Amino acid sequence: MRIGNMGAILVAMTVLAGSVFAHHSFTAEFDQNKPIKLTGKVTEMKFSNPHSWIYMDVETDGKVVNWALETGAANALIRRGWKKTDLPAGTVLKVDGWQARNGTATANVSSVTFPDGRRLFAGSSNESAPTK
Amino acid sequence: MFPWTMKLRCTCLAVGLFAVLCESSPAQQSLPRTADGKPNLQGIWQARSAAAVDLQDHAARPGMPAGRGVVEGGAIPYQPWAAAKKQENFTMRQTADPVGKCYFPGVPRIMYLDYPFQIFQTPEHLAITFEWSQVYRLIYTNGKPTPHDGIDSWMGDSRGRWEGDTLVVQVKGQNDKTWFDMAGDFHSDALDVTERYTMRDADTIQYEATIQDPKVFTKSWKISMPLIRQKDKARILEYQCQAEAEEANGAFERDPRTWYPKPGSTPSPLGKPAAMPPAGALPDVKTGANLRRGADGKPDLTGYYQSNAGGANYGLEKHGRDFLTPGTRGVVIDPADGTLPYQPWARAERINRELPYRGYDDPTAHCFVAGIPRSMYVPSPFQILQPPGYVVLLFERMSWRIISLDGRPHLPDNIRLWQGDSVGHWEGDTLVVDTANMNGKTWLNEVGDVVSHAEHIVERFIPTADGKITYRATVTDPIAYTRPWTIEIPLNRQSDELLEVACHEDNGDLQNLKAVRDEFRAQQKKEK
Repeated sequence: MRIGNMGAILVAMTVLAGSVFAHHSFTAEFDQNKPIKLTGKVTEMKFSNPHSWIYMDVETDGKVVNWALETGAANALIRRGWKKTDLPAGTVLKVDGWQARNGTATANVSSVTFPDGRRLFAGSSNESAPTK
Repeated sequence: MFPWTMKLRCTCLAVGLFAVLCESSPAQQSLPRTADGKPNLQGIWQARSAAAVDLQDHAARPGMPAGRGVVEGGAIPYQPWAAAKKQENFTMRQTADPVGKCYFPGVPRIMYLDYPFQIFQTPEHLAITFEWSQVYRLIYTNGKPTPHDGIDSWMGDSRGRWEGDTLVVQVKGQNDKTWFDMAGDFHSDALDVTERYTMRDADTIQYEATIQDPKVFTKSWKISMPLIRQKDKARILEYQCQAEAEEANGAFERDPRTWYPKPGSTPSPLGKPAAMPPAGALPDVKTGANLRRGADGKPDLTGYYQSNAGGANYGLEKHGRDFLTPGTRGVVIDPADGTLPYQPWARAERINRELPYRGYDDPTAHCFVAGIPRSMYVPSPFQILQPPGYVVLLFERMSWRIISLDGRPHLPDNIRLWQGDSVGHWEGDTLVVDTANMNGKTWLNEVGDVVSHAEHIVERFIPTADGKITYRATVTDPIAYTRPWTIEIPLNRQSDELLEVACHEDNGDLQNLKAVRDEFRAQQKKEK
């Protein structure tokens, strides 16, 4: 990732959770009893609605599994200045999240950091707590 | 049209070279015009051509009637590799046609699908709402460039300008996933479309689209066809392509407690509405002083809005966060305690819908439209337009609401719609909208607050200041509730433009939700 973009993206991502839209129940799809911590290399950032996906190769015991990691909507990312090319293949990420109930290599992302600890995402793909 | 007008036009066409005479033909001089002097395209239209099947001359095939082409010069100038690719598409068309999968048709294909559409015209915009899947196009005629450059979408970005009496629209930024017709004619992501809308008479628009795509064609090419005013239609209805497909193949299942009864079926015992007491008194909200006003003297509500929904999409009643389901502040203002006045069966259903295996049943998880009032508080923006005679709402999650202000009655009871039938009127500076003919298929949010086909909604858009609307919706539904109830949500105008949500096209979640549902059912079967 180009360092010049990082500041903007870090700021962008820390407020992302505020207005990302959900279109289905994450609670129904993902399992509270299956928290996951993954480290791997990005293979693709799929910029899409209603949710974007980061695909990442994760090696466990010599076996590589490609995980699908669900994040915010493309439109929310676009409105915060993100471009498709901002998370190139090969970027190493550490991801915290919740695995899908169906046990596939699919997870909802709660936080993403670079190996040096800088935070890419704050919050999950769902809307923030209510305000009033 | 007077006979002599007809004669003059025929003469013009015949001599061709003197086409300039036709430009000022009496038919065109008598075109309907807007207050700012432009040809008034507003109305319900449909293309008259065989283009939806095949842009070029074609013999009949199963499900594809024969027809004449609409390509100027007859043939599409494919590069050799692309001609081969088109043939492959043609062979695979039964399974490969994107519109066959209910994906966005792109431009120009959306203009000549065999469905009517409605044009709304303001000095700043031309909005086109399509019956097919409630797709819309918002064409900016305000001279401004897009604030979101460099992104692609299924329907592209449309900017229009008037050249004399012709509206010229540049469509850029379309992806490479759409086709031009059922025959597999295609393009790349380098596609540029220039459309020209020229009114020939009050009931005919000549539509032209010039196609440029140097990756696929050897030169630019042009199609043209008439759009005909649909004088027999006072409204366009809905054809929700994916919802119809999933109902037909069983992926989306009928709920006899809430859905409108099938013809000839016995309504469920719950299906008979009870008498209800009236809604409670609501706290008064004052409309703002010195509001910006439109040409008709009514408050100008136009613009891009976000609702401050307080989590209404995760529950109308106040509750805290539950794992990945955000909390909600509670938006029910009547009853005063914020609790929805459920019938016992509906409260039980509401609680059941929170179980993980029911997540699949939420229509919005299938990317179906949200219904009313949910469309107003799903967490994505919408645009309000006020063309003469209407208030039109365009939702970023690709659906529209057309609110007519002419006092027309609702549709017949047996026509049921996802977004209902909305008629509106002004009470002072408050826009009051009455919506009926709901189909009972929608949920009110992700946790499954219930409405049935008996749902009747009265909404109030109360402008409290420029760009600030207090939105209230009073829902009467005697099948699911013991009395009417009301929610209140602020709507705030912002400075932005709508983007596109291609939801069904990119819906990676549904299979996971289905797996949870299927596993639950398999478990139940085992236990029996």
